[in-house]
Amino acid sequence: MRLTFINGSPRGSKSNTAKVMDYFIQGFLETPGNSCEIQFITRHRGDLNALAGIFSAAERVLIGFPLYIDAMPGSVKEFFESLTPLAGRCRNIELGFVIQCGFPETHQNRFAERYCEKLARRLGCCYMGSIVKGGLEGMAIQPKFLTDKYEYFFHALGLEFGKSGKLDPVLLEKLSRPEHIRQEDLANLIPFINKALWDDQLEKNGVLDRSFDRPLEP
Amino acid sequence: MKLLIINGNPSPGNTLFEEFTRDFISGLRDAGHQVREFVLRDMKIKPCTGCFACWVKTPGICSIDDDGRKVAREFIASDHVIIASPLIMGFVSALTKNAFDRNIPLVHPHLEAVDGETHHKKRYDRHPAISFLLQREPFTDDEDIAIATAIFKRESINLRSTLGFIRFIDTPVKEVLDAINIH
Repeated sequence: MRLTFINGSPRGSKSNTAKVMDYFIQGFLETPGNSCEIQFITRHRGDLNALAGIFSAAERVLIGFPLYIDAMPGSVKEFFESLTPLAGRCRNIELGFVIQCGFPETHQNRFAERYCEKLARRLGCCYMGSIVKGGLEGMAIQPKFLTDKYEYFFHALGLEFGKSGKLDPVLLEKLSRPEHIRQEDLANLIPFINKALWDDQLEKNGVLDRSFDRPLEP
Repeated sequence: MKLLIINGNPSPGNTLFEEFTRDFISGLRDAGHQVREFVLRDMKIKPCTGCFACWVKTPGICSIDDDGRKVAREFIASDHVIIASPLIMGFVSALTKNAFDRNIPLVHPHLEAVDGETHHKKRYDRHPAISFLLQREPFTDDEDIAIATAIFKRESINLRSTLGFIRFIDTPVKEVLDAINIH
């Protein structure tokens, strides 16, 4: 089986999208004969038609991106626009997406997921579903049980996909938890994220006391 | 009211869109609004790289020194921002989205609970209302509009703004002008 993974993260190979998809691809490649080609949208910005050509010749494609203000990043939208001539012509392509965000609840990705599903139909692709996950910002400071969970589920999804060519719905659902966060958990989680993810970086950069600056104040 | 029109139409040859926008803006001026228009295709705005310098290194300022900063500055100084874009592959243009992504310096990295979800804190006291003026594609259907509308609603929540109106350029200009006043 041949997989093309198009990584749309503006952070490219150093992105959280790349990190988790490395686990997926490792699992995918465990089935003998499977191969995976990885493309980065950032490297094709000058000539997206070349990437559109790679897309149109592919069998199975996953397009991954981080959520940027509730949708795909602008550079990923540029790639989607380069696919315009292919609308309705991609009957031989199976297409899925990987959508992840920094917000801890997976639900925040669901609106972009609906868009992606419709995009797959617009292109005429067979839609394989999407891997959707919240809470992936700042993986380096997250507790090990969480990062182990990402590794386990992305690897398992890739392994299953490598055998069957399908994204296992049970694994997708388990990975996506928490879909929402209960009110009482928010009260503990939010101060943790604010401190460990943001204040520590602000402090390291010597600007913690300026974090609420308003340099564009009219 | 202080209004900002962000024109994200990538094709100057799309005269239907340009003429509507021109009439719309002159109608707004006639009604006494203070209007500024940014034509994104004539500006230099690089995509956000996700570096988060605007949150953790130079709070409130994007690390990229180009017209993206200008858009963010005018955005926060406005009462109402109207994103004007043709739908392309079911969503606002990439030109529009790249400019929009550069608005994250307007919020603070800290999260807070809003209606049971995490969202970023406001950096400024007043965030403008955000409206959308769109042009349908030949194949745009109700589902496309529902999907885009749901995302626009989410975007306005995450930028700690309010969603104004969503209108299409196949409605009379007068109707869109009225929508500003109603909002």
